[in-house]
Amino acid sequence: MEKNGKKVVIGVIGSDCHAVGNKIIDHVLAKQGFDVVNIGVLSPQEDFINAAVETNADAIIVSSLYGHGELDCQGMREKCQEAGLKDITLYVGGNIVVGKQTWEDVEKRFESMGFDRVYAPGTPIEITAKDLKKDLSIAE
Amino acid sequence: MKLKFNRWTEEEFMKVREEVLKQWPTGAEVDLDEAVAYHKALPDHKNFAKKLIDAKEKGITLAQPRAGVALIDEHIELLNFLDEKGGADLLPSTIDSYTRQNKYEECERGIIESRRAGRSLLNGFPGVNHGIEGCRKVVESVNLPLQLRHGTPDARLLSEIMIASGFTSNEGGGVSYNIPYAKSVSLERTLLDWQYVDRLIGWYEEQGVSINREPFGPLTGTLVPPSMSNVVQILECLLAAEQGVKNITLGYGQCGNLVQDVAAIKSLREQAEEYCAELGYENMMITTVFHQWMGGFPEDEAKAFGVISNASVTAALSGATKVIVKTPHEALGIPTKEANAEGIKATKMVLNLLEGQNISDSEELNAEVDLIKKEVKAIMDKVAELGNGDLAVGTVKAIEQGVIDIPFAPSMYNAGKMLPARDNQGKIRYLEVGNVPFSQKIVDFNKSALEERAEFEEREVGFQLTVDDIFAVSKGKLIGRPE
Repeated sequence: MEKNGKKVVIGVIGSDCHAVGNKIIDHVLAKQGFDVVNIGVLSPQEDFINAAVETNADAIIVSSLYGHGELDCQGMREKCQEAGLKDITLYVGGNIVVGKQTWEDVEKRFESMGFDRVYAPGTPIEITAKDLKKDLSIAE
Repeated sequence: MKLKFNRWTEEEFMKVREEVLKQWPTGAEVDLDEAVAYHKALPDHKNFAKKLIDAKEKGITLAQPRAGVALIDEHIELLNFLDEKGGADLLPSTIDSYTRQNKYEECERGIIESRRAGRSLLNGFPGVNHGIEGCRKVVESVNLPLQLRHGTPDARLLSEIMIASGFTSNEGGGVSYNIPYAKSVSLERTLLDWQYVDRLIGWYEEQGVSINREPFGPLTGTLVPPSMSNVVQILECLLAAEQGVKNITLGYGQCGNLVQDVAAIKSLREQAEEYCAELGYENMMITTVFHQWMGGFPEDEAKAFGVISNASVTAALSGATKVIVKTPHEALGIPTKEANAEGIKATKMVLNLLEGQNISDSEELNAEVDLIKKEVKAIMDKVAELGNGDLAVGTVKAIEQGVIDIPFAPSMYNAGKMLPARDNQGKIRYLEVGNVPFSQKIVDFNKSALEERAEFEEREVGFQLTVDDIFAVSKGKLIGRPE
């Protein structure tokens, strides 16, 4: 497969051990030419940020499937800025809150935390890959 | 302490126990003698083990939801709603994910923020933080037996507190709560920690208090071949029995092909009893639990009810003693109490309609039972060989070498060389056996079943079958055929 020259850090945040989607995201993004740095499940914010700093990544995609996303993601944008990852592209997706809530409210809550894109439950990774190419100015 | 298959001595247990109870301030509240007296004063209808024996004798299938929220009063309200409005036969307390990682400080933050927000920000009930007083309030405010359900590699303190509080069943095990739930916790560690939990329950049993134990059947919930999950169940059953546990419920997660699912439960029950007899464990009470579809669900609620009802049919026809119920909100995460109750109602309706019915023997069913048993025996023989007869040591080595290999597991200690996929009837087969020690005949059978499907779909046998199968149910089909 042809590389597109962009590096993306992926992983599952907090005390969440859902591994299946993470392996599929890795598989699909790599197939689409991204250089994937997969820090895996059960990963604190610091692991995402350290991996992004060490590899000079272009984007971070945070996954959360277990409902604690709201607690786990607080302050992540600020920590990125402090670590020198100025305005790094930051996405979050999965089942990111506890319970069925109005999606617009959830999206706003995470956007105000500094996430560039917030994905609703069940979004195929192919859609995220398309957005990522657009946001990182990669030609399709 | 070195891992061995043997029962812990009183001295070994009490020495470790002293340290365990210091892990969080609420540990100091546990007094075993007082706890035994508390259990003996509880009515029979609140004892999980007794209710399961009754169901087994009657030949019925009980329905149990998953449920748990951060705060005590809200948790009680949720459980009573599932009993009164949903008709649950057994109740859970699903534990939050911070507790599962022993992060009790983060639980405190979750409890405080949940109070402030007026909704639960934790995905379960933080039992350690609530302590005996809080957990007993739950036990005393509901009318059904309670089980703690979690996914905790080190559940020693959690088990001490919740069992002393009057909970009469505990899910988990040294393999089933490690490989699917942890990234870097060693097998030796979790097997020892679960020997502790099993010894604790064995101790209660010796005082005349029967506590049910349930190894977690579905593992990663993702295309796990029945023989692989049955091996883990049988090993955890034997590990628990060695520590003195008597009342054990063995689990299995629905695969989706009716015949394979019925065969899996039948062979699980029969082989577990055979191995228990072989090792000399007497007076065992073995029951089974069938988990409704554990993979991705359709978002559409009507379609989700289709999945739930289909699973309930299989649960009833397999003769499982209980079924763990999914909800129409499954695709979105934690359900509301209303959605949870609806899942139970749909399940119970199907169970009631099928009460007393079972699926009769057929050539196809017998062949599947025979295959599962042969696959299980091949792995079990190798586990015993690797441990020089010690099944605990053998289990560690078997996982290290990929003899036991769980697909899509987060643990770095799992080989991940085995790959599953569905055959043309939707039965889960071994696409790549990796280091799983099957005879050439079994390997060839699995391969030819997958070749039949690939030929039908006019494509190659390969990993793409697996990927397509993972998303198939959420898209509305069992088998991931090309579109």
